[in-house]
Amino acid sequence: MTPTKHIEMLNVRKAFRFFTLEDLSLNLEPGQIMGLVGPNGAGKSTTIRLLTGLLAPDAGEIRVLGHAMPEAQALAKRDIGFVSDEMRLFGHATFGWHMKFISSIYPDWDEQYAKTLVQRFGLRPEQNVSGLSSGEHVKAVLLLALARRPRLLILDEPTSGLDPVARHELLSEFMDVLRDENRSILFSSHNTVDVERISDRITFIDRGRLIDSSDKEDFLERWRRIQLQLPAGATLPDLPHLVSRVDDGQFVTLTTNRYSEDLLAFLGNGVRQVQRMNLEEIFVANVMHHRELRGK
Amino acid sequence: MNMLTSKLIAKEFYLHRWLIIGSTIAGVVGLLIAAEGKVRFNIGMLMWLTTIVAFGIMLAMISIGNERKERTLQFVLSLPLSHGDYVRIKVVGLLLCFLVPWTVLGVGAVTLVLVMPNLPDGLLPFAVLLCGFFLANYSLVLCSALHTASEGVMTLVIITTNMGITLFIFMIGAIPSLNDHLFAPAPVWNSTFWTVLGVEAATLVITLSLPYFVAARRRDFT
Repeated sequence: MTPTKHIEMLNVRKAFRFFTLEDLSLNLEPGQIMGLVGPNGAGKSTTIRLLTGLLAPDAGEIRVLGHAMPEAQALAKRDIGFVSDEMRLFGHATFGWHMKFISSIYPDWDEQYAKTLVQRFGLRPEQNVSGLSSGEHVKAVLLLALARRPRLLILDEPTSGLDPVARHELLSEFMDVLRDENRSILFSSHNTVDVERISDRITFIDRGRLIDSSDKEDFLERWRRIQLQLPAGATLPDLPHLVSRVDDGQFVTLTTNRYSEDLLAFLGNGVRQVQRMNLEEIFVANVMHHRELRGK
Repeated sequence: MNMLTSKLIAKEFYLHRWLIIGSTIAGVVGLLIAAEGKVRFNIGMLMWLTTIVAFGIMLAMISIGNERKERTLQFVLSLPLSHGDYVRIKVVGLLLCFLVPWTVLGVGAVTLVLVMPNLPDGLLPFAVLLCGFFLANYSLVLCSALHTASEGVMTLVIITTNMGITLFIFMIGAIPSLNDHLFAPAPVWNSTFWTVLGVEAATLVITLSLPYFVAARRRDFT
């Protein structure tokens, strides 16, 4: 039997006065970590709000853990751990009260794991939430989501505002969650270093549209920056799958999203250097390319 | 009532416990001051009245307005409940929270009228109508807080409902069938009393039902 996809979005549209999320389709399989990457205002948080039932789509279909959203959100949210950088706990209650409150709602709450995380994150249950630093607050919210052992973790910019050590700790915990292959994570961020580190599938989104979605390794294999030196008077023929071209006298820098040995062979002896690109470079090149295409 | 609903209602009581306790104590102090004689009666009753009204406004604003403003709403909505569940829980939970001091202070005011020898029992219908008005007034503030995120609209609602108290007292004074019996030795439960009480009950029912049909059916919750 095929396991139920943890996230299914099909041709989803959501319009606001100054922003429209258009024709968004994406899937997340059990056991996957998907990084949802986009610049500020790209539509990442809107996508996540649609997935958690906070917003209803104007068109299209959304299913989370097999449940139609937002209609069956109460059922779906039993198995979703949702954390957003905007989410706040009750300031006048202690963190311990929050743990007790959440543990009384979720039967799968793992007390032992919660205690381990309290130690690891350096939190104090007896402390009032209003006294937590912003980093501690993020850790506290994440602990409440992780210790309930959800099948799907939806994280909206969870590491923003955290120092590198705290980010490292949290990303390690996310990896730990995925030891169980029935669990999955959707992780939105504009920090491509974090996304590159933990995601196995990446979706780029910009100005309300999905611009590319693929396995991380596929992205890293497909994208290359190639530096060429052309003989005097020579011109470069039109090449397919060219994302950008920068000319500097005899030197040309090409960026392609379909790198292959055949392309290298076609370019011949003029090739001076072939550079692998990191996710940030791929992300920026991808966004700029799609903005250019849309502008045309 | 399912487990989650009762947990969330208990959460309202826990988070607002000091407000509930503090308001009840302040209102009781007002009643005790009122019991100390004719001069202090007005001061004490003003304190009693202000406490109930201010408590209702603060409860609705802190629990709904601040939850939105301080972004704890996202945390609550990440729990396994629908928008409809959230609205229903807020209506029931906050009504129950309000009923604690309202009941104590309402019973206290009635007792004061019955016990104090210099207060005529004819004031009893007025005390009951005033308590009914406070409850209807609170339900209107609660209903508004559930329907609007605008601080401007809420300020307008609060100003209007506060002015409503003065108007209500004037109105009672202007209705001869109520005013004429205020200083009677025994309470008069006439048809005018029941009509006004009926209007208060209808306001209560409408304002507490409206969120179920409007706010609970909202598709976007931000």
